[in-house]
Amino acid sequence: MSDFKCIDLQNKNDVTVVKLRDDKVTDAERIATLGEELMTLSQPDGGRVVINMGNVRFLSSSAINKLIVLERRLSSGGGNLKLSNLRPEVEEVFNITQLHSVFDIRADENDAVGAFDS
Amino acid sequence: MTDIAYWNYDEWLPSDTTVGSEVILCIVENMQKIGWPEQEMYGVHVSLEEAIINAIKHGNQRDPEKKVHVVVKSTAENFYLKVTDQGAGFDPLAVPDCTAPENLELGSGRGLLMMRHYMDEVIYNHAGNQLELKKQLQKNKT
Repeated sequence: MSDFKCIDLQNKNDVTVVKLRDDKVTDAERIATLGEELMTLSQPDGGRVVINMGNVRFLSSSAINKLIVLERRLSSGGGNLKLSNLRPEVEEVFNITQLHSVFDIRADENDAVGAFDS
Repeated sequence: MTDIAYWNYDEWLPSDTTVGSEVILCIVENMQKIGWPEQEMYGVHVSLEEAIINAIKHGNQRDPEKKVHVVVKSTAENFYLKVTDQGAGFDPLAVPDCTAPENLELGSGRGLLMMRHYMDEVIYNHAGNQLELKKQLQKNKT
């Protein structure tokens, strides 16, 4: 788990909680690496994943695409992805692009983890 | 606020996203130096990313033989960006509406949408390989 370059993982109540290390997710190579690392979170049975975005101050459309791919992969296996702790400027991007209807966005990490069992 | 009332930039960049990212940060930093407020810079930064990185990745296809011309003319109130690549160009009207329910999970169109949201004007040339962005700072915005 510690081999990841772009993410840190934690397990909370059988939910994988991901924190993105970069505050600005813009560099093309880092985004490619991020995408590869996020894909490892997808399990045959889908998986339950929360991405805590609290550290993220900037997100390009390429990085958003990686989140979409993960969401699609998890959903197709019966799993689920939730996002939490979005800064207002980042949340605005999800609103502009209508992606708030694709992602389950929660105010904070505990809320997102707890939502899996509610 | 410094004594500098404007900041201009005019360079041909290699088709290298690392160089593109460095130039974007340079533009953002210099706009802040001439007085652009932090809360306006998110949209400017997003637009720079989508314009310059897309020109390198999709326009020039990262071809080392091709370059991207970046022109910035910025004052404390106005931002102008012109990005020209040496690729085949594209038709922005053919880009699907990424907010349509059936297109929400597609990988294309989101950058264009964000530029249109954050900028006052987004203009492509006929060939589709040159993009101009314009934004005027709304001084009464909080």
